[in-house]
Amino acid sequence: MTLREYISTSVSRVTISLVLLTGCWVSADAQKLFRLEKDSIPLMRGFQLSFDLFGAGQMMLGDYGQYEAALRLNLHDQWFPIVELGYGKANHEEDAITGMAYKTQAPYFRVGIDFNMLKKKHQANRLFLGFRYANTSYKVDVWRKDQPDPAWQTPTRFDVRDEQCSQHWLEAVAGIDAQIFGPVHLGWSVRYKKRLAHKDGIIDKTWYVPGYGLWDSSALGGSFNFIIDI
Amino acid sequence: MKKALLLIFSACMVACTSIDCPVQHSVMAHYAVMTSDLTAADTLRDTLSVTTKKMDRKDTLLLNQAIGVTSFSVNVSYTNPEDTLFFQFKNYPYMAVDTVWMKKENTPHFESVDCSASYFHIITTIRTTHHAIDTVTINNPSIDYDPQRVHFHLRLKSHN
Repeated sequence: MTLREYISTSVSRVTISLVLLTGCWVSADAQKLFRLEKDSIPLMRGFQLSFDLFGAGQMMLGDYGQYEAALRLNLHDQWFPIVELGYGKANHEEDAITGMAYKTQAPYFRVGIDFNMLKKKHQANRLFLGFRYANTSYKVDVWRKDQPDPAWQTPTRFDVRDEQCSQHWLEAVAGIDAQIFGPVHLGWSVRYKKRLAHKDGIIDKTWYVPGYGLWDSSALGGSFNFIIDI
Repeated sequence: MKKALLLIFSACMVACTSIDCPVQHSVMAHYAVMTSDLTAADTLRDTLSVTTKKMDRKDTLLLNQAIGVTSFSVNVSYTNPEDTLFFQFKNYPYMAVDTVWMKKENTPHFESVDCSASYFHIITTIRTTHHAIDTVTINNPSIDYDPQRVHFHLRLKSHN
Protein backbone atom coordinates (compact mmCIF):
# COMPACT_ATOMS: atom_id res chain seq x y z
CA MET A 1 0.00 0.00 0.00
CA THR A 2 1.43 3.41 -0.94
CA LEU A 3 1.61 6.28 1.53
CA ARG A 4 -1.07 8.15 -0.39
CA GLU A 5 -3.46 5.17 -0.26
CA TYR A 6 -2.74 4.79 3.47
CA ILE A 7 -3.53 8.46 4.14
CA SER A 8 -6.66 8.25 2.01
CA THR A 9 -7.84 5.12 3.85
CA SER A 10 -7.18 6.74 7.24
CA VAL A 11 -9.11 9.87 6.30
CA SER A 12 -11.98 7.72 4.99
CA ARG A 13 -12.18 5.75 8.23
CA VAL A 14 -12.19 8.86 10.40
CA THR A 15 -14.78 10.50 8.15
CA ILE A 16 -17.06 7.45 8.25
CA SER A 17 -16.70 7.34 12.05
CA LEU A 18 -17.67 11.00 12.27
CA VAL A 19 -20.67 10.45 10.02
CA LEU A 20 -21.81 7.54 12.21
CA LEU A 21 -21.34 9.66 15.34
CA THR A 22 -23.36 12.40 13.69
CA GLY A 23 -26.05 9.85 12.92
CA CYS A 24 -26.29 8.91 16.61
CA TRP A 25 -26.51 12.54 17.62
CA VAL A 26 -29.07 13.30 14.92
CA SER A 27 -31.27 10.35 15.84
CA ALA A 28 -31.40 11.53 19.46
CA ASP A 29 -32.38 15.10 18.65
CA ALA A 30 -33.84 14.58 15.19
CA GLN A 31 -37.42 15.23 16.21
CA LYS A 32 -36.58 18.60 17.67
CA LEU A 33 -33.95 19.67 15.15
CA PHE A 34 -35.36 18.78 11.76
CA ARG A 35 -39.12 19.14 12.11
CA LEU A 36 -40.71 22.14 10.47
CA GLU A 37 -41.57 24.81 13.01
CA LYS A 38 -45.27 25.27 13.50
CA ASP A 39 -45.97 28.93 12.94
CA SER A 40 -47.75 31.27 10.56
CA ILE A 41 -44.75 31.60 8.20
CA PRO A 42 -45.51 29.97 4.82
CA LEU A 43 -43.51 27.00 3.50
CA MET A 44 -42.36 28.79 0.32
CA ARG A 45 -40.22 31.74 1.32
CA GLY A 46 -38.67 32.54 -2.05
CA PHE A 47 -35.29 32.02 -3.71
CA GLN A 48 -31.71 33.04 -3.22
CA LEU A 49 -29.42 33.68 -6.17
CA SER A 50 -25.74 33.63 -5.31
CA PHE A 51 -22.36 34.04 -7.01
CA ASP A 52 -19.07 32.64 -5.75
CA LEU A 53 -16.50 35.43 -5.50
CA PHE A 54 -13.71 33.16 -4.24
CA GLY A 55 -13.60 31.00 -7.39
CA ALA A 56 -13.76 34.09 -9.62
CA GLY A 57 -10.87 35.60 -7.63
CA GLN A 58 -8.86 32.40 -8.10
CA MET A 59 -9.51 32.62 -11.83
CA MET A 60 -8.32 36.23 -12.01
CA LEU A 61 -5.28 35.90 -9.76
CA GLY A 62 -4.07 32.38 -10.53
CA ASP A 63 -3.99 29.87 -13.34
CA TYR A 64 -7.14 28.03 -12.32
CA GLY A 65 -10.55 28.82 -10.87
CA GLN A 66 -14.23 28.79 -11.60
CA TYR A 67 -17.20 31.02 -12.20
CA GLU A 68 -20.14 29.70 -10.25
CA ALA A 69 -23.75 30.69 -9.58
CA ALA A 70 -26.32 28.98 -7.40
CA LEU A 71 -30.07 29.03 -7.03
CA ARG A 72 -31.38 28.09 -3.60
CA LEU A 73 -35.02 27.54 -2.67
CA ASN A 74 -36.07 28.77 0.77
CA LEU A 75 -38.47 26.40 2.47
CA HIS A 76 -39.71 27.93 5.70
CA ASP A 77 -36.25 29.48 6.36
CA GLN A 78 -35.23 25.98 7.40
CA TRP A 79 -34.54 23.77 4.38
CA PHE A 80 -32.76 25.09 1.30
CA PRO A 81 -32.60 22.78 -1.74
CA ILE A 82 -29.87 24.15 -3.99
CA VAL A 83 -28.49 23.81 -7.52
CA GLU A 84 -25.00 25.14 -8.24
CA LEU A 85 -23.80 25.60 -11.82
CA GLY A 86 -20.28 26.59 -12.71
CA TYR A 87 -17.59 26.74 -15.34
CA GLY A 88 -14.11 25.69 -14.23
CA LYS A 89 -10.93 26.50 -16.08
CA ALA A 90 -7.21 25.84 -15.68
CA ASN A 91 -4.40 27.04 -17.89
CA HIS A 92 -1.08 26.23 -16.25
CA GLU A 93 1.71 27.27 -18.58
CA GLU A 94 4.95 25.32 -18.62
CA ASP A 95 5.99 24.84 -15.01
CA ALA A 96 9.29 26.55 -14.18
CA ILE A 97 10.70 23.41 -12.54
CA THR A 98 9.01 20.41 -14.12
CA GLY A 99 8.14 21.92 -17.51
CA MET A 100 4.65 20.42 -17.30
CA ALA A 101 1.71 22.33 -18.78
CA TYR A 102 -1.97 21.60 -18.11
CA LYS A 103 -5.13 22.94 -19.69
CA THR A 104 -8.80 22.19 -19.19
CA GLN A 105 -12.16 23.95 -19.17
CA ALA A 106 -15.61 22.53 -18.61
CA PRO A 107 -18.96 23.12 -16.90
CA TYR A 108 -20.02 21.31 -13.73
CA PHE A 109 -23.03 21.13 -11.47
CA ARG A 110 -23.86 20.36 -7.87
CA VAL A 111 -27.23 19.58 -6.30
CA GLY A 112 -27.97 19.26 -2.63
CA ILE A 113 -29.69 20.74 0.36
CA ASP A 114 -28.76 23.03 3.26
CA PHE A 115 -30.31 23.09 6.69
CA ASN A 116 -30.49 26.27 8.78
CA MET A 117 -29.01 25.38 12.18
CA LEU A 118 -30.09 28.55 14.00
CA LYS A 119 -32.75 28.23 16.67
CA LYS A 120 -34.45 31.43 15.55
CA LYS A 121 -34.79 30.55 11.89
CA HIS A 122 -36.94 33.43 10.67
CA GLN A 123 -34.21 36.02 10.71
CA ALA A 124 -31.97 37.42 7.99
CA ASN A 125 -28.77 35.67 9.11
CA ARG A 126 -28.31 31.92 8.71
CA LEU A 127 -25.96 29.13 9.73
CA PHE A 128 -25.99 26.14 7.38
CA LEU A 129 -25.06 22.49 7.31
CA GLY A 130 -25.67 20.59 4.11
CA PHE A 131 -24.36 18.32 1.41
CA ARG A 132 -23.89 18.32 -2.35
CA TYR A 133 -23.63 15.74 -5.09
CA ALA A 134 -21.42 17.05 -7.89
CA ASN A 135 -20.50 15.94 -11.39
CA THR A 136 -18.30 17.12 -14.21
CA SER A 137 -17.10 15.81 -17.55
CA TYR A 138 -14.04 17.48 -19.02
CA LYS A 139 -11.17 17.18 -21.48
CA VAL A 140 -7.54 17.64 -20.49
CA ASP A 141 -4.39 18.66 -22.35
CA VAL A 142 -1.11 17.77 -20.59
CA TRP A 143 2.22 18.27 -22.26
CA ARG A 144 5.81 19.34 -21.91
CA LYS A 145 8.62 20.09 -24.34
CA ASP A 146 10.60 17.10 -25.58
CA GLN A 147 13.34 16.18 -23.12
CA PRO A 148 16.16 13.65 -23.40
CA ASP A 149 15.82 10.36 -21.58
CA PRO A 150 18.30 10.62 -18.67
CA ALA A 151 20.00 7.28 -19.42
CA TRP A 152 19.45 6.69 -23.14
CA GLN A 153 19.51 10.37 -24.20
CA THR A 154 16.78 9.72 -26.75
CA PRO A 155 14.24 12.57 -27.06
CA THR A 156 11.05 11.77 -25.16
CA ARG A 157 7.68 13.28 -25.86
CA PHE A 158 4.87 13.86 -23.34
CA ASP A 159 1.90 15.23 -25.21
CA VAL A 160 -1.61 14.13 -24.30
CA ARG A 161 -4.43 16.09 -25.93
CA ASP A 162 -8.20 16.06 -25.49
CA GLU A 163 -8.12 13.27 -22.93
CA GLN A 164 -11.71 12.65 -21.86
CA CYS A 165 -12.14 12.60 -18.06
CA SER A 166 -15.04 12.70 -15.62
CA GLN A 167 -15.64 12.80 -11.89
CA HIS A 168 -18.45 12.45 -9.35
CA TRP A 169 -18.03 13.62 -5.80
CA LEU A 170 -19.84 14.51 -2.58
CA GLU A 171 -19.35 17.60 -0.47
CA ALA A 172 -20.24 18.19 3.17
CA VAL A 173 -20.95 21.90 3.53
CA ALA A 174 -20.96 24.26 6.53
CA GLY A 175 -21.49 27.96 6.05
CA ILE A 176 -23.05 31.20 7.11
CA ASP A 177 -24.76 34.03 5.33
CA ALA A 178 -25.40 37.44 6.79
CA GLN A 179 -27.65 40.22 5.62
CA ILE A 180 -25.75 43.31 4.51
CA PHE A 181 -28.74 45.42 3.50
CA GLY A 182 -32.16 44.73 2.04
CA PRO A 183 -32.00 41.59 -0.12
CA VAL A 184 -28.19 41.55 -0.29
CA HIS A 185 -26.33 38.97 1.78
CA LEU A 186 -22.72 37.90 1.98
CA GLY A 187 -21.74 34.42 3.08
CA TRP A 188 -19.01 31.86 3.09
CA SER A 189 -18.94 28.11 3.18
CA VAL A 190 -16.36 25.46 4.01
CA ARG A 191 -16.61 22.19 2.14
CA TYR A 192 -15.16 18.74 2.73
CA LYS A 193 -14.94 16.92 -0.60
CA LYS A 194 -14.92 13.17 -1.17
CA ARG A 195 -14.54 11.65 -4.62
CA LEU A 196 -17.03 8.91 -5.45
CA ALA A 197 -15.75 7.92 -8.88
CA HIS A 198 -13.42 9.32 -11.47
CA LYS A 199 -12.11 8.55 -14.93
CA ASP A 200 -8.75 10.08 -15.73
CA GLY A 201 -7.99 8.53 -19.09
CA ILE A 202 -4.57 7.39 -20.18
CA ILE A 203 -2.66 9.73 -17.83
CA ASP A 204 -4.02 8.07 -14.63
CA LYS A 205 -4.42 11.32 -12.73
CA THR A 206 -5.61 14.82 -13.39
CA TRP A 207 -4.59 18.03 -11.67
CA TYR A 208 -7.42 20.57 -11.74
CA VAL A 209 -10.95 19.15 -11.91
CA PRO A 210 -13.62 21.76 -12.81
CA GLY A 211 -15.70 22.46 -9.70
CA TYR A 212 -13.61 20.21 -7.47
CA GLY A 213 -10.33 22.10 -7.59
CA LEU A 214 -6.89 20.57 -7.33
CA TRP A 215 -7.51 16.92 -6.64
CA ASP A 216 -4.10 16.27 -5.07
CA SER A 217 -4.30 19.09 -2.53
CA SER A 218 -6.50 19.43 0.54
CA ALA A 219 -9.93 17.80 0.60
CA LEU A 220 -11.18 21.09 2.03
CA GLY A 221 -12.55 23.83 -0.16
CA GLY A 222 -14.54 26.97 0.30
CA SER A 223 -16.61 29.67 -1.27
CA PHE A 224 -17.38 33.33 -0.58
CA ASN A 225 -20.81 34.20 -1.83
CA PHE A 226 -22.62 37.32 -2.94
CA ILE A 227 -26.29 36.47 -2.35
CA ILE A 228 -29.50 38.14 -3.38
CA ASP A 229 -32.83 37.19 -1.80
CA ILE A 230 -35.56 37.03 -4.40
CA MET B 1 -25.28 24.46 18.45
CA LYS B 2 -22.09 23.64 20.34
CA LYS B 3 -22.30 20.08 19.02
CA ALA B 4 -22.63 21.34 15.46
CA LEU B 5 -19.60 23.62 15.78
CA LEU B 6 -17.61 20.77 17.34
CA LEU B 7 -18.56 18.56 14.40
CA ILE B 8 -17.46 21.17 11.85
CA PHE B 9 -14.18 21.65 13.69
CA SER B 10 -13.58 17.87 13.76
CA ALA B 11 -14.27 17.58 10.04
CA CYS B 12 -11.75 20.34 9.39
CA MET B 13 -9.13 18.60 11.49
CA VAL B 14 -9.39 15.22 9.71
CA ALA B 15 -9.17 16.72 6.22
CA CYS B 16 -5.50 16.57 5.39
CA THR B 17 -3.34 17.49 2.47
CA SER B 18 -1.96 14.56 0.55
CA ILE B 19 1.53 14.36 -0.90
CA ASP B 20 2.18 16.19 -4.13
CA CYS B 21 4.58 13.70 -5.69
CA PRO B 22 4.98 10.00 -4.92
CA VAL B 23 7.63 9.14 -2.34
CA GLN B 24 8.99 6.46 -4.63
CA HIS B 25 9.38 8.36 -7.87
CA SER B 26 11.59 6.08 -9.93
CA VAL B 27 10.26 3.69 -12.51
CA MET B 28 12.64 0.70 -12.47
CA ALA B 29 12.59 -2.90 -13.64
CA HIS B 30 13.15 -5.22 -10.67
CA TYR B 31 14.92 -8.52 -11.23
CA ALA B 32 14.94 -11.41 -8.73
CA VAL B 33 17.73 -13.97 -8.94
CA MET B 34 16.15 -17.41 -8.73
CA THR B 35 17.29 -20.95 -8.16
CA SER B 36 17.40 -23.28 -11.15
CA ASP B 37 13.91 -24.66 -10.40
CA LEU B 38 12.54 -21.08 -10.06
CA THR B 39 11.04 -21.89 -6.66
CA ALA B 40 13.27 -19.82 -4.37
CA ALA B 41 15.43 -16.71 -4.34
CA ASP B 42 19.08 -17.24 -5.04
CA THR B 43 22.11 -15.06 -4.41
CA LEU B 44 24.09 -13.43 -7.19
CA ARG B 45 27.50 -15.04 -6.78
CA ASP B 46 29.14 -13.40 -9.77
CA THR B 47 29.79 -9.68 -10.22
CA LEU B 48 27.14 -8.27 -12.53
CA SER B 49 27.10 -4.94 -14.32
CA VAL B 50 24.37 -3.87 -16.72
CA THR B 51 25.02 -1.37 -19.51
CA THR B 52 23.22 -0.09 -22.55
CA LYS B 53 24.03 2.03 -25.58
CA LYS B 54 22.99 5.66 -25.54
CA MET B 55 21.69 7.39 -28.64
CA ASP B 56 25.27 8.39 -29.54
CA ARG B 57 26.23 4.65 -29.35
CA LYS B 58 28.40 5.22 -26.27
CA ASP B 59 27.97 2.86 -23.32
CA THR B 60 26.17 3.96 -20.19
CA LEU B 61 26.12 2.08 -16.88
CA LEU B 62 22.76 1.07 -15.42
CA LEU B 63 23.92 -1.34 -12.68
CA ASN B 64 27.40 -1.23 -11.23
CA GLN B 65 29.08 -4.45 -10.03
CA ALA B 66 26.27 -6.04 -8.04
CA ILE B 67 27.21 -9.16 -6.08
CA GLY B 68 25.81 -11.06 -3.11
CA VAL B 69 22.30 -9.72 -3.70
CA THR B 70 19.08 -11.60 -4.39
CA SER B 71 17.52 -8.83 -6.45
CA PHE B 72 18.50 -5.69 -8.31
CA SER B 73 16.89 -2.87 -10.26
CA VAL B 74 17.63 -1.50 -13.71
CA ASN B 75 16.40 1.71 -15.36
CA VAL B 76 13.83 1.49 -18.12
CA SER B 77 13.91 3.83 -21.08
CA TYR B 78 11.08 6.36 -21.17
CA THR B 79 9.77 5.83 -24.67
CA ASN B 80 11.93 3.34 -26.60
CA PRO B 81 9.82 0.42 -27.88
CA GLU B 82 12.65 -1.96 -27.00
CA ASP B 83 15.54 -1.71 -24.52
CA THR B 84 18.74 -3.55 -25.33
CA LEU B 85 20.69 -4.35 -22.18
CA PHE B 86 24.14 -5.91 -21.79
CA PHE B 87 24.54 -8.10 -18.71
CA GLN B 88 28.26 -8.39 -18.00
CA PHE B 89 29.32 -11.22 -15.69
CA LYS B 90 32.88 -10.69 -14.45
CA ASN B 91 33.93 -14.17 -13.38
CA TYR B 92 31.67 -16.75 -15.08
CA PRO B 93 34.25 -18.99 -15.59
CA TYR B 94 35.46 -16.32 -17.94
CA MET B 95 33.98 -12.86 -18.47
CA ALA B 96 30.65 -13.25 -20.22
CA VAL B 97 28.24 -10.76 -21.74
CA ASP B 98 24.61 -11.58 -22.41
CA THR B 99 22.34 -9.33 -24.42
CA VAL B 100 18.78 -8.92 -23.17
CA TRP B 101 16.07 -7.43 -25.38
CA MET B 102 13.02 -6.12 -23.55
CA LYS B 103 10.03 -5.06 -25.65
CA LYS B 104 7.48 -2.84 -23.96
CA GLU B 105 4.53 -0.51 -24.36
CA ASN B 106 5.02 2.93 -22.84
CA THR B 107 2.28 4.97 -21.20
CA PRO B 108 2.74 8.61 -20.14
CA HIS B 109 1.92 9.01 -16.46
CA PHE B 110 0.88 12.32 -14.91
CA GLU B 111 0.77 13.11 -11.20
CA SER B 112 0.65 16.87 -11.01
CA VAL B 113 2.19 19.88 -12.71
CA ASP B 114 4.51 19.97 -9.67
CA CYS B 115 5.89 16.49 -10.47
CA SER B 116 8.11 15.56 -13.37
CA ALA B 117 6.56 13.54 -16.17
CA SER B 118 7.09 9.80 -16.00
CA TYR B 119 6.25 6.76 -18.08
CA PHE B 120 4.82 3.45 -16.99
CA HIS B 121 5.47 0.32 -19.02
CA ILE B 122 3.92 -2.99 -19.92
CA ILE B 123 6.49 -5.62 -20.86
CA THR B 124 5.40 -7.59 -23.89
CA THR B 125 8.40 -9.86 -24.48
CA ILE B 126 11.89 -10.43 -23.14
CA ARG B 127 14.56 -12.53 -24.78
CA THR B 128 18.23 -13.12 -24.09
CA THR B 129 21.42 -14.75 -25.25
CA HIS B 130 22.53 -17.67 -23.13
CA HIS B 131 26.21 -17.34 -22.22
CA ALA B 132 25.80 -16.97 -18.45
CA ILE B 133 22.06 -16.44 -18.32
CA ASP B 134 19.90 -19.53 -18.45
CA THR B 135 16.52 -17.80 -18.61
CA VAL B 136 14.85 -14.47 -17.96
CA THR B 137 11.09 -14.78 -17.49
CA ILE B 138 8.40 -12.19 -16.94
CA ASN B 139 6.92 -12.43 -13.45
CA ASN B 140 4.85 -9.24 -13.60
CA PRO B 141 4.72 -7.18 -16.82
CA SER B 142 3.57 -3.91 -15.26
CA ILE B 143 6.39 -1.48 -14.40
CA ASP B 144 5.44 1.60 -12.39
CA TYR B 145 6.43 3.29 -9.11
CA ASP B 146 5.95 0.11 -7.05
CA PRO B 147 9.38 -0.85 -5.66
CA GLN B 148 8.13 -4.17 -4.27
CA ARG B 149 6.92 -5.68 -7.52
CA VAL B 150 9.29 -8.21 -9.10
CA HIS B 151 9.08 -7.97 -12.88
CA PHE B 152 11.62 -10.57 -13.96
CA HIS B 153 12.97 -13.86 -12.67
CA LEU B 154 16.61 -14.27 -13.64
CA ARG B 155 18.11 -17.77 -13.62
CA LEU B 156 21.82 -18.13 -14.22
CA LYS B 157 23.69 -21.09 -15.59
CA SER B 158 25.50 -23.22 -13.08
CA HIS B 159 29.22 -23.50 -13.75
CA ASN B 160 30.10 -26.16 -11.20
